Amino acid sequence: MKKMIKKLTIGAGLAACLVASSAFAQEATAIMNARVLTAAGDVIENGDVIIRDGQIAQVGADLSAPQGATVIDGAGKVVTPGLFAPFTTIGLEEIGLDAEANDAGPDRASNFPLGAALNAADAIRPASSLIPINRAGGVTRAVTAPAPGASLFGGAAAVIDLSGETNSITRRAVAQVLVLGYSGASRAGDTRMGAWAILRETLDQARRYNSDPEAFLRTGDATRYRAADLRALAPVLAGEMPLLVSINGESDIRNLIRLKNEYGLRVIILGGSEAWKAADALGAANIPVILNPTANLPSQFEDLGATLRNAALLDEAGVAIAFYGTESGSHNISAVTQLAGNAVANGLDYDTAIAALTRNPAEMFGVGDEFGTIAPGRAADIVVWSGDPLEVTSAPEAVFIAGVRQDLENRQSALRERYRDLSRGDLPIAYRGGAPDPD
Amino acid sequence: MDNWRKWLVAATAGVALAGCGDGGETSPDGAQGAERDQTAQASPNQEQDQERRAARSDKETNAKADGPVRPPRDPFPSTYEPYPGETTLIANATVLTGDGVRIDGGAVLIQDGRIAAVGEDITAPDGARVIDAEGKWVTPGIIDIHSHLGDYPSPSTQSTSDGNEITNPNTADVWAEHSVWPQDAGFTRALAGGVTSLQVLPGSANLFGGRSAILKNVPSRTVQGMKFPGAPYGLKMACGENPKRVYGDKGGPGTRMGNFSGYRRAWIEAEAYQKKWEDYWSAYEEWDPDGDEDRPEAPARDLKLETLAGVLDGEILVNMHCYRADEMVLVLDMAEEFGYKVTTFHHAIEAYKIADYLAQENVCAAVWADWWGFKLEAYDTVPENAALVHAQDGGCAIIHSDSALGIQRLNQEAAKAMASGRRMGMDLPEETVIGWLTANPAEAMGILDQTGTLEAGKMADVVVWSGNPFSVYTQAEHVFIDGALLYDRDDPARSPRMDFEIGQAGNDATGGAGQ
Repeated sequence: MKKMIKKLTIGAGLAACLVASSAFAQEATAIMNARVLTAAGDVIENGDVIIRDGQIAQVGADLSAPQGATVIDGAGKVVTPGLFAPFTTIGLEEIGLDAEANDAGPDRASNFPLGAALNAADAIRPASSLIPINRAGGVTRAVTAPAPGASLFGGAAAVIDLSGETNSITRRAVAQVLVLGYSGASRAGDTRMGAWAILRETLDQARRYNSDPEAFLRTGDATRYRAADLRALAPVLAGEMPLLVSINGESDIRNLIRLKNEYGLRVIILGGSEAWKAADALGAANIPVILNPTANLPSQFEDLGATLRNAALLDEAGVAIAFYGTESGSHNISAVTQLAGNAVANGLDYDTAIAALTRNPAEMFGVGDEFGTIAPGRAADIVVWSGDPLEVTSAPEAVFIAGVRQDLENRQSALRERYRDLSRGDLPIAYRGGAPDPD
Repeated sequence: MDNWRKWLVAATAGVALAGCGDGGETSPDGAQGAERDQTAQASPNQEQDQERRAARSDKETNAKADGPVRPPRDPFPSTYEPYPGETTLIANATVLTGDGVRIDGGAVLIQDGRIAAVGEDITAPDGARVIDAEGKWVTPGIIDIHSHLGDYPSPSTQSTSDGNEITNPNTADVWAEHSVWPQDAGFTRALAGGVTSLQVLPGSANLFGGRSAILKNVPSRTVQGMKFPGAPYGLKMACGENPKRVYGDKGGPGTRMGNFSGYRRAWIEAEAYQKKWEDYWSAYEEWDPDGDEDRPEAPARDLKLETLAGVLDGEILVNMHCYRADEMVLVLDMAEEFGYKVTTFHHAIEAYKIADYLAQENVCAAVWADWWGFKLEAYDTVPENAALVHAQDGGCAIIHSDSALGIQRLNQEAAKAMASGRRMGMDLPEETVIGWLTANPAEAMGILDQTGTLEAGKMADVVVWSGNPFSVYTQAEHVFIDGALLYDRDDPARSPRMDFEIGQAGNDATGGAGQ
């Protein structure tokens, strides 16, 4: 019954498993002699990064490792800020199609009454298996966002770190999710007119409510709106919290720019397959775009202009961009590097692509002063890559979140080790791996 | 059984000969005729050949001349014809032949739509176009064994959603080619990704989803104009969650055991149907037209059972959507029970857990590089899945897309799977891994004798890449199909544009395959 394994080197060197501690590392860590892409404007060849107390202490060339520091030889490696994923449902969704294991948003058919009032932070499960798997791919922080149900509004998105620790919520509410375009129309009588009318009315009512809740609750309108939804829109109307708007077509995008100016909103576009057609207007309105740079199909009439050049054209017009994929969703967030690589292959500036994975999304969601760049004082979210991080054959070799070196083992690596040798053995396969470390 | 095989083959020959789908050919050398026809596609004398052979067939008529009823095997025959191409020498390239060989400083000569030579020192014939491919890589055309292009086309609206006949758990009677919209812009994007052939499958809602269509990625007004000449049909089947979910409250199956009951009941019916026709043909053969007995009456045709009987006879290849290891092994036993073969398990998320069984049974696993978790049966993937399948002696790994975006960069998907395997210590050179996208799917689709490797005599389905195809930055620069240059990244005139996209406002800046 023993099967020969032809091309497999059994027992090939596995990187030593380092387990994250829950507290900040007290000892310093020094990554020496790497190519450092700071995403803060500099590329440092033979650069060094010194991490201490969870933060980046120093970055530059020819630094000295502090006494007692753990030194990582970065020769031949590339160091970047940790990937900051701008749009995910990580922590909300374990299994897409199993209702029991998917909290990404209300079932649309259920006509669940609340929208804007929802908050991803309430449902995030840091123990999700998706977290260590994507962490091993270099993702250190992620925006996790509720998916709209029957409402145009999805609720508030949170920022989490991917440590898997119980306290991994970085910010509870960084953006309010809104769906427009055809997807919005389909929630509003199947017409865009309906979506825009409901949106404007909701914003107007929220403004009335938030200026005088008691008075509002005495009006007839109070029966048509949930106070919790209107209350949740207060920071949006105040221009403090951005709307994260799913929208694709050029005409819809131009309408959105008008709405933003009229109401004094902050807006981030999600999707934007035709955003390049309004690139100058978006640049002037300071609206960033989170896009899938490989979306080049006329999937809907609103996507007729979808092109692989979208990212490059937006960047040339001064629009800040970040990337998200739609294909395997939050299970595969770390494949965002492949999206960035494809954007570069289609004309995007390389340094912009790195920023689009790190600094840009951190800035879009208001945490750019803490995350997304390698600069003194920033949180030490760092990835040491085996090579060019945009190359599909590269992989992280070390990942730090707030200065703590992370375990890169996960459910997938455990399954791989369990099944790499299929010979019968003295006990069933179910006895391989998984036992607690006797130490 | 022999009779069954004979009518299937003879009917093809008949169609090819007469071109009218009447299936009337009775020549005992029908099988040879079919093979000849497959390889004679490019022959300028094809029409004369057909006339000669039709005339010969007439002479062989006798008292039973009209023969027994034989359902047409190929009623929607391929009308694909290669487009003209120049004699072209691609020189100074890194050549991956698809069957495990890498030639540095290699060359590929394309002539008359075929690969004329592959090697190190090939002299360009007089008048040949020479592509200096210094720094570039050349591979066979990419083949996607799992696509829904055309049956789930762009634009994706309710009007165009034609991929899943969700009306009965057994729709073995539907044929994907009847849903394929040849104007799907996705075909053009796939071409820019180096895809030269693909299998379009029905969806996976049903236990038996229907027949696949194997296409050349060459735009045509009709699906017949894209059909790969001589390719066998595939049958799409599905395990696990999908049939359960779709039919659980519609009369079943509602469980995995219900799924198996549904498969087996259908195979039992197919066996009976097969026997009914065999009995009829035997009776016809024994029938004396001058005797007292009436001409034997042919059984009624049943489209579902025709397809399933075709599987039992080995003429139609089973492509089974199956995620879980335990289910795949149950399916292998079922195939043994009814005497058919599963060619490929698609989406085989847990193939690595039973890679030994798959290798032993000579079944391919078509997998994604890294998709997982969208449903529970997709929870247990590992990025090393393809590599672990390949690692078995005789293991057959295929990277498939199931996606109108993924099909555009199958080379990158294979690169991820390759890199994951290498990281666990496996020796996976590029010349091996390219087979996951070329020779292996070609073999699993029954077209390896015609394409899938760079070998003299095969169809010149060839891609010239800007560099190592296992890099994210590499792009297909030239794509040849049967020797015709159908995509040239630098020449907008060598880029197809589908009807749906032309003349749309504001699209002038883009459009075409490389959009």
